Parts: sequence; structure tokens; C-alpha cells
Amino acid sequence: MTAASPAAVRPIGFRGGLGMVRALVRRSANEILRVPGAAIPGVLAPTIFFLGLNAAFGNLTQLSGFTTDEYQSFIIPISMLQGAGFTGAATGVNLARDIEQGWFDRLLASPAPRPVLLAGMVVSASLRALIPATFLLGVGFLIGVNWPGAAGLLLALVLVMGTGAIAACWGVMIALRFRSQAAAPLMQSGMFVLVLTTTAYAPLELLQGWLAEIARINPLTQVVEAARQGFIEGAVVWSETWPGLLALAGMLSVLGALALRGMHHTSDH
Amino acid sequence: MADALRVVAALGRRSVRQTFRRPQLVAPILIFPTLLLAVQTGGAASAVDLPGFPAVNGFLDFMLAGAMLQAALLAGNTGGIALAVDLEMGFADRLFASPISRYAIVLGRLAGTATLGVATAIWFIAIGLIFGVEFEQGVVGMLTMVIFVSLCALVFGALSSAIALYTGQASVVQGLFPLVFVILFLSSAFFPAELMLEPAASIAEYNPLSFIATGVRDQVIGGLDAAVLAETLGAIALVGAISFALSAVALRRRLRIG
Amino acid sequence: MPAVSAIEVTGLEREFPGGIRAVDGVDLEVAEGEIYAFLGPNGAGKTTTVRMLTTLLRPTGGSARVAGHDVVSEAGQVRRAIGVALQEAALDPLMTGRELIELQATLHGIPRAEAGRRGEALLDRVGLSEAAGRRVGGYSGGMRRRLDLASALVHEPRVLFLDEPTTGLDPVSRKGIWEEVSALNREGTTVFLTTQYLEEADQLANRVGIIARGGIVAEGTPASLKAEIGNPHLEIGLVDGSPETAAQVCRAFGRPLPERDGKVLLELEGGAGDVAQVVRALDEAGILVESLELVEPTLDDVFVAKTGEHIEEEASG
Repeated sequence: MTAASPAAVRPIGFRGGLGMVRALVRRSANEILRVPGAAIPGVLAPTIFFLGLNAAFGNLTQLSGFTTDEYQSFIIPISMLQGAGFTGAATGVNLARDIEQGWFDRLLASPAPRPVLLAGMVVSASLRALIPATFLLGVGFLIGVNWPGAAGLLLALVLVMGTGAIAACWGVMIALRFRSQAAAPLMQSGMFVLVLTTTAYAPLELLQGWLAEIARINPLTQVVEAARQGFIEGAVVWSETWPGLLALAGMLSVLGALALRGMHHTSDH
Repeated sequence: MADALRVVAALGRRSVRQTFRRPQLVAPILIFPTLLLAVQTGGAASAVDLPGFPAVNGFLDFMLAGAMLQAALLAGNTGGIALAVDLEMGFADRLFASPISRYAIVLGRLAGTATLGVATAIWFIAIGLIFGVEFEQGVVGMLTMVIFVSLCALVFGALSSAIALYTGQASVVQGLFPLVFVILFLSSAFFPAELMLEPAASIAEYNPLSFIATGVRDQVIGGLDAAVLAETLGAIALVGAISFALSAVALRRRLRIG
Repeated sequence: MPAVSAIEVTGLEREFPGGIRAVDGVDLEVAEGEIYAFLGPNGAGKTTTVRMLTTLLRPTGGSARVAGHDVVSEAGQVRRAIGVALQEAALDPLMTGRELIELQATLHGIPRAEAGRRGEALLDRVGLSEAAGRRVGGYSGGMRRRLDLASALVHEPRVLFLDEPTTGLDPVSRKGIWEEVSALNREGTTVFLTTQYLEEADQLANRVGIIARGGIVAEGTPASLKAEIGNPHLEIGLVDGSPETAAQVCRAFGRPLPERDGKVLLELEGGAGDVAQVVRALDEAGILVESLELVEPTLDDVFVAKTGEHIEEEASG
């Protein structure tokens, strides 16, 4: 091994970048695969919320304005998106921990491009978001949630993954800004508020006051409605789907850009 | 006796200071319940139109009690987590090795939790006032709410401490967070028990937390009812008796085992 | 033949919010194939400098080039040419040693098969082949440092940065790391290390830069720095009799220094060879000597001479 002729300094091409993303995703999977019970809080929280909300507010469907009398079918997409939000926030908390413990420096000092490092975190979050979502569906079907049809199910899962990615961008952004696990509540409450200030509890007509206004402009409302179609109507139509996909793309672009900016500013500290 | 009180007060002050210095601890106690209150009040506001819903000026009147109890229970759990951390880190050993009463150590933390309970009650009363809630029972009612909520934090803190003392692990106590929500949802904290779905509705009818919720809520929306007050205090006493007994047993066991 | 510079630093500065100048105008040059040690106490600015040179921190003033590339405008190229083992041996406890090295290799764009081959070779080199399949969480401090070092080498860097590589290690592990660093250097790798241990700088480095409060106070080879300070001194413990009388006797051989702990201190102008004569002179004067210690100048003496303070609070290393 000589230093006079160093390892061929190959440019990090697309395939190289993909390989890095794959390796980073695999590393973050360790936490679930190797720490028994690590996934439980992330799965338990949205499920309890789902069952609890249903038990407590289930009779809201008696009000006119609801197109279904199955509250569980109405709110299951909310819980799935909450699970995605929680997963993404956890990505931010893990990053904050990695920053505090110096592991992140190792990644930053390597030639892996900043966008690739971010992609690794975001992709792993969107995949992990499927875990609570799947568990919720299992529990949901047991208590009588409508079968959404194959298309409806697929759409819901895609929207869950997209929301997980958005939540990860948010979590990463906060982690890079505060560089401390103490910022965890900010990551979690941000997503909490985003998901619940939509048509979460009731259709738009039945929301009152400030929440109605916010739900109207909250882009995640479109995602909720798109995900909800299958469970309420048993089928999906394009006209109700594309606003959700567009909203997802829009939020991902904005939050992704902000997170990337944060990544580039890591050398300011 | 005076010494013991001084110790309890000092430890209580420490635990309050600890909580407010770390956002991860304050947030579940104040921020999350407030956020949940906001979205649930806005989202389920039309619930007041359901036949059988108690007479209120707005859904906030009903929900305020639920938010306060949520905060109180989480304050109690946070106290338990902090105690477990003390045990894990060995700080508790330092206390146990000093000449102060063993019980004073646990009571100190509980005193801190009760203080947090008072703080959360005041916080939510303030929010209620800002957002136009009319407290039927006036200032006396508000005081009653503060007392009930802080007692609730205290007894749940004792339960959480019992688990901390028994397991010595913060992660176990932390895992109780979801349980708090289960208890809350299976009570009338967020919704009238009669209007809930079965089997939750039946469970809620007998859940001690429902009685406590009613007692707190009546200060806002109801009349002065001695029976309700008695039921509330009875529920608190019942949970308190169990949780303090468990704490005492767990403490003695830990001191024996070391 | 002019040496190619592996590291070139000009007027490097780093100011933190609040006006704290952790690095206040550092100039240095490290030739290719050198081992350069940054020696100084905690808070002197060593780690901040290393972070700037490894592109983790942006300088607020001055410039630096590593392996021929500017650390700010050509950060990507710098990262490809450097290997980094930072202060905290930050490793993921859930990964195995092998997985960690392979991840590092992937991050450097090395293809799978090649990564595996190099990983095995490096693990073998640092003596971790057996432990490679175990999770890092179970490694000892010495093992972690070795793994950290191995993973810094996976892409055959031209310049290796080590931030306090042996802090907290037992003497045996420390020697092991020193041997490894020396071997790497013999193979041509330039090494920039920071340390607060005199012996480490003394033993390993070709050149030492002594840093205090964000600036370099002295620079040179360990021998030349110590020679600057001058001669060894003798510490004479007496059985009885006054130190002043003894000092008078010794005056012929050197300069008496302020006494310490009742011992007579004498700077030997003629060097260590005069010790025998000092002893004879004291003997002839009837002064009984209880203990005699010849103390060579250390880098700490250099530090004291330049800053008035010691590097280490107590002699260690």
C-alpha cells in the first residue's frame, strides 16, 4: 500500500451513490432488527390512538356530513399517516443522537455526497413507515375496517411512504439545526400537528373555526382524503387521487430542499 | 419532622427544576396535551350536536378537563422515569446512603410531581380563560380543579414510582406512556361515557379516572354537587391507596435487595 | 528536491459565536511522508484545527490545502484523499466490525467485492480478525480505536488525521497504536496527529507544533525544540545539611535553579557528562546525597518556557 498513488479517485457516479444509499438503509435497519422491541413504541402509539379515538369519538358518524357510519374506516388513514410521521420524527431523533455521539462526523468526512447521505435517511424512513401501517391495517381489519380494494390499499401505502419521507426531512432539518436530542419533542409535535390539523376527526363541513381554515389549506388534507377513499368507498378515482400525490410531491420538494440545505451547512458549526 | 419536610421540599424543588430544564420532559406534560386539546376541540367540535351530549357552551368546556388529566398523568409518569434514571445512574444510592428518611426520598419526587400537577392545572385554566371558557363554579371551582388535578398527578406518580422502584429501569417506565393514553381513552376524559362505543363505554363507566374527570369538569360546566365531589375524592383515594401501597412495598424491596 | 506539501495552512482562523477564537492564525506546512504532531493542552485548538482540515468545519479566516486541494472549495476531493479517526472513535454499537469497515468502504465508492477484500486485510492488520464478526458494542476501548484506525485506512488515504488517538488507552494498547502509525508512515502515508501526551509527540513525530490558545507557540523536531530550552538539570536530594551550601559547591558546574521540595536543582552547563564531577565535589565537601535525578528537558519544558504553564497537570504518558 503506497500513498504515492492513492486509490483511483473515481467520481461517485449514480451506481456508486445507489450503493451508498443501500448501505445506509441497511445500517439503519439494524436498529429494528437487532434491538428487540425497538419498533414497538412506534407501532403501539398510533394503534392505541386509533383504537382509542374510535372508541371515544366513534359516534360522531351519527352526525350528518359523515358519508360512513364506520368511524374506524374513516380514521384508519389518519393513524397510518401518524405512524409515518412518528417514524420520520424518530429518524430525526436518531440523527441527533448520531451527531451528539460523533458518528455523523464519520459520514460527513467521507466522500459520500450530502444528497446521498440525506437520501439514505429518507429512504429508510419511508420504508420503515410501512411497519406501523401494516400493523394498523391488521388491527383495523379485525375491528371491522372496510377492505379498500387492491388499488386503495396500494395507494394508501404509497402515501404512507411519502409521508414517512416528508417526516424524515422535517426530522433531519430539526436535528441539523439543533444538533441535540433535546429537540425531539419539536420533531414529534410538528408531525403530530400536521397530521391532525387535517380532516382527521371529521369531514371538512363539520370542522369549526380555526381548524376548518387550517385543514382547508393544509396540503396533507389532500393526502388524507386520497388515502381515505378506498376505506370509505371501496374504490379509488383519479380525481380524488392526484391532489394527494401532488401535495406529497410539493411537501417533499420543499422539506427536502430545506433538509439538504441543512446538510450543506453542517460545516458551519 | 421539620428535617424530613425540608428534605422533601429540597428534593421536590430539584425534580421540578430537572423537568423544566429538559424540553424532552416538559413537552409531554404541557405541549402535547395542549396541541391535542387544540386539534380535538377543533376537529370533534360538532360532537356537541350529538343527542345526549351534556349542555356546554362549546366543546372546549368539555375537553379542558381531559387535557388537564392527560397532563397530570404524564407528569406522574415523567416523575417515575426521573426516579428510574436516578436509580440507574446511582444518584439514588447517594441519597439512600445519607441519613435522611427513605420515604422522604420518594416523597420528595412525588412532591415535585404534585407541584407540576398544580402548574399544568393553572396552565390549562389560563388557556380556558383565554379561549372564552366560563367556569360555572368561579374561582372556588378553579381552586378545586387545581387540587384534584395535582392529587391525580400525585397518585399516578406514586404508581409510576412503584414501577420505577421495582424494575430500576427508565425504559420500562417510559414504555408506560401508551398505557396512559389507554387509560385516558377508556374513561370519560375525552368524551361522555354514554356516547362512546362499546366495550369502551362500559369500561369508562367504572374507570376511576372517569369519576375524577367528572369532578374536574363539573367545575366548568356543572353545578355544585356534593355527591360528585365525594365520588371524585373517593376515586382519588382508591387509586392513591393502591399506588402508595405498591410504592412502599417496592421501596422496601429495593432497600432490602440493594 | 523540494518536498511536496501534504498539508498547507495559512493564517487559519476559527471564531465561534460570542467572539471565541478557538484557532487564531495558524500557519503550518506538512511535507508528504511526514508525521506531524500537534501538541497542546485541552482547549488549545487542536480538535478545531483538525475539524477544519478534514472539512467538517468551515474556517472563518485564512486558508488550508490538504493533498493539494482547498478544504473549502474542493472539499469533495479532500475527503477522498484523507482518512480520519476522530477523538471519540464514534462507532455504531449495533454493527459488527466487519460491517463497519465495509460501510466505510462503500461510502468511499469502493465496490462490494473489493471492499470485502480490503476490509479483511485491514482487520487482520490491526489484529481484529477474530472479533470482526462481533458487535462493536462489545469491544474494549483499545479494540474500538484499532477499528477506527482500520476504517480510516480502507481507501488508502494519502493523509491520515488522528485526533488524540491514544487518549484513555492503557500503555500496551497505546504502544500498539504507535507501532501501527509508524508502520503506515514507513509505507508513505502522511500523518497529522493531535495529542496532549509528551511521549507520544516525542516518540512518533518528525516534527511537533506546540499549540496553546489557538496559536502555535513553537515548532520543530522534538530534538531541536528541546535543545532550544537547553541543558538537562540535576535534582539533588540531601540527607542533611543546607541546600545553600550544596548549591555553592555545585556552582562550578552549572546554574543553580530555584529549589523545589528541599532539593537542589542545578542546570548542567556541560551536559549530562558532568554528573560524576558534581557527585565527587559534594562528596569532598562532606555533603551526603540521598537522591540524584538527571532530568532531560521535555517538550513540557518547552511549553512552560513559551507559555508559563504546563501541558499536563501531572507527569504521565
